[in-house]
Amino acid sequence: MDSETSKPSKYERFRIETKPAPHVYQIPNKFDVSAKKLRLAAMLVHEAFEYKLNKEVVLSRPCIYGVFGGRFGGFKPLKHKCVGCMRCVQEYPHIMAVKQSDEYKTLGDSFWTPEAVFTIWNEASTGKIPVKGMGYKGAFGGEGFDGMWTDMSEIVRPTRDGVYGREYISTCVDIGRKPTRVDFGKIDQSPSSVQVPVPIIFDDLPALEFDVWNAVGKAARKLGTFFVTHDQTRGEDYRERMIPIVDDNSLDETLEKRPSIVEYDGERSDLSEKLSDSLQSSIVIARVPLREESGLVACKLAREGVHGLHLYADYHGQDYSEDPKHISESLKEVHQLLVKEGLRDQVTIIASGGITLAEHVPKAIICGADLVGIDTTVLVALQAEFLGETQKRGTYKLRPRKIDPAWGTQRLVNLFGVWHDQLIEILSAMGMRDVRRLRGDIGRSMMDAELREHSFKGIAWATKN
Amino acid sequence: MGNQELIVEKHSERIHHGLEVLPTLRHGLPAGLGNKRWTAELILATYEMALTGDLPKNGLEHKIGDSGGGFDVLGWKNNGFPKVDQDSVDLSISLNKRGEGRKIEIPLPIYGGGMSFGSISLNFMLARVRAAQKIGTYTSTGEGGYPDAIVPYRDHVITQVATGMFGVREETIQYAPIVEFKYAQGAKPGLGGHLLADKVTSEVAKMRESSMFTSLYSPFPFHSVYSVEDHKKHVDWIKTVNPRALVSVKVSTPTDVDMVAIGSYYAGANIIHIDGGYGGTGAAPEIAKKNIAMPIEYAIPKVHDYLVSEGVRDDIVLIASGGIRTADDIAKAIALGADGCVVATAEAVAVGCTHCGNCERGRGCQVGITTTDPELSQFIEPEWGEQRIVNLYTAWTKRLRWILAGFGLKNIRELRGRKDLLVRYK
Ligand code: SF4
Ligand code: SF4
Repeated sequence: MDSETSKPSKYERFRIETKPAPHVYQIPNKFDVSAKKLRLAAMLVHEAFEYKLNKEVVLSRPCIYGVFGGRFGGFKPLKHKCVGCMRCVQEYPHIMAVKQSDEYKTLGDSFWTPEAVFTIWNEASTGKIPVKGMGYKGAFGGEGFDGMWTDMSEIVRPTRDGVYGREYISTCVDIGRKPTRVDFGKIDQSPSSVQVPVPIIFDDLPALEFDVWNAVGKAARKLGTFFVTHDQTRGEDYRERMIPIVDDNSLDETLEKRPSIVEYDGERSDLSEKLSDSLQSSIVIARVPLREESGLVACKLAREGVHGLHLYADYHGQDYSEDPKHISESLKEVHQLLVKEGLRDQVTIIASGGITLAEHVPKAIICGADLVGIDTTVLVALQAEFLGETQKRGTYKLRPRKIDPAWGTQRLVNLFGVWHDQLIEILSAMGMRDVRRLRGDIGRSMMDAELREHSFKGIAWATKN
Repeated sequence: MGNQELIVEKHSERIHHGLEVLPTLRHGLPAGLGNKRWTAELILATYEMALTGDLPKNGLEHKIGDSGGGFDVLGWKNNGFPKVDQDSVDLSISLNKRGEGRKIEIPLPIYGGGMSFGSISLNFMLARVRAAQKIGTYTSTGEGGYPDAIVPYRDHVITQVATGMFGVREETIQYAPIVEFKYAQGAKPGLGGHLLADKVTSEVAKMRESSMFTSLYSPFPFHSVYSVEDHKKHVDWIKTVNPRALVSVKVSTPTDVDMVAIGSYYAGANIIHIDGGYGGTGAAPEIAKKNIAMPIEYAIPKVHDYLVSEGVRDDIVLIASGGIRTADDIAKAIALGADGCVVATAEAVAVGCTHCGNCERGRGCQVGITTTDPELSQFIEPEWGEQRIVNLYTAWTKRLRWILAGFGLKNIRELRGRKDLLVRYK
């Protein structure tokens, strides 16, 4: 045997190990099934005569999902099993009624639709990407990311392995300043960049339970990503994965702990100087709210030498302009200005706010981000309770529940695994081998408004009677 | 009759009865039925048309859904009363506009889209091919091979050649009046196909020359095609095996769909079939359906205009699919620039589909459409299904004729590219 060829390969394919982490708090039934009891009884009597008391035939039920498989059959349906197929209504329209349950319909808030909440719950609990039969069932387009489609390539595939080849598509991104030229004399003193295997980090959230942060920290370690926090007591055991947001109070502590990445309020140039002077091996990122002049601010900060910009909108993805725009719009503006000024490659852009579904990741990257930060999605995955609107960063109404950190970690690992898989689906459809090539590639996307104007040109407007 | 047969008969009768009763709205509009694209009313209107062969008389909405865009925000200019005799309106289109090759005409601008054996029941497949034969149009095998049971209908069956090459044999290509290359599918563009293990029964495995109860993937893309020249070789291959066959090329709707279309023309295709993202599929990741590639409403004018500007529009047939639900969608697609449409989901709705999306769960479709379960498959008797599909198209024919007659058009070919007859609503 040739000893050269028999050596085990050191190559390990990147994969995120998902495994079931079922809901610990009961989730609402999606469908509400009910039977008119008198009619149901009458139907049973009728069928008993029709089928001459043949029990097997009389009691054979229309539901293949076992909703009427309980002791009391249709009199007490097992509602949690209903998938809304409507066959019982087709067979017995005078007896059966199926509708979306009230608890389901009131889930979430004005931004988080019940469907989105269910999607995140299912992704976090199963670790499997959502697959359904028949076609798309939702709205045609919409605002923000909903009004955007990604491109596909008819004949180019990044790997020849079809669905098995997804491991060969890179989703790694770098955080930090990249040298723009070969530096023989070691003139560039920038710290080396840090790589994350998936272009997603956990963003900061206002005060939260210790267990939640333990789950976040542990998940960040398992996934090789980072979590941002303004409170450095959170997830302390996972400090190497922490990106502290530094303010006056935490400056000394931060300088002492020397994190690999640090964030600060982009308006505090004094802090920036202190950090750059004292933490020469750390990647320094400025947090900048997205608003009218964010592009100019971003250029100024890039020129001053920050290594990255964390651009954020509110939790519903609206920026902080007088007339708020969706993060997709404002992100594009900042990215394009940085490109125009020749500064884009000097900084990493992290985008957060309103990144709540898997498709938002590639779409935010197309709009110009290198990677994204997720926030309320983390809490939804951990079955937090909606108590009102979740829009405002300071006062969002989403109450975390008590969790077991190990369970929470698995839920977040599952979420990342599923989002990673879906990112790969998008990249492979586009024929791309590396997520870094997607950044700012607006040409590989299609906007509802633009396509509509082009394709419906010449069609007169009218009002419906 | 044994109990199993009695059970099938019982539920079959009940389902069929329900499809008759529900559109009467005697029990109201079922609250849990439908979604934005296929609203409850649209589903019930389709049941009604499949029952009567006529448009609903009780005001059920049969023209548009509630998606808030695309076909659903387009309407017709007020065209008043018919200006020509509706019965004389010609709905036929040609499927070969090239100077050479076989001339094929279909009496209405519709043929059936690919739904493969394995992803749908044999009974539903039979219903579809029988309906195609009765109408004088075609339906496509999809990628699951060519069951013996449909060979008698082969003059109305399009053989699909897709990347998995399942069931593609010399004889199935030679049977075909039209061979369809599936490069991509709108609902899962760029992702290939996936038949879940549960559906790969012994018959399905035999047909696809694979192992039982093992998931089957059709890769993406064709591994032998990396250029228009490679694609031309494919077309030439089919034309060598079956010189009489017309060739259709089914593609998705990327940003450069117009270039793809011209490439297909160059390669010798007779039909360029563009499939938008909002159409049907067996199982597909939700992320793909909603987010990848453009809706068909936007792709049609892009391709039509480009083919016109290249001076080849009258040499190639442009067929649109992926979200065509109603007769009005068809007429709008044609007014936007298509020659005709491919329809699949509406045929499933005609036989009882609720667009619930549970096709891949457990035993498959509860009413026997997308399933290989021996009991459930029996809910669709081929003759019954055939008649329902024929009825649906008969009703659509009436609506199409009404639209055309209102504009004084005697021929559906005159509607092509007439965006000026459309209006759009805010
Ligand atoms: S809707 Fe379908 S799943 Fe729900 S109870 Fe009725 S038959 Fe069962
Ligand atoms: S499972 Fe639902 S969506 Fe699928 S074919 Fe059957 S009725 Fe239609």
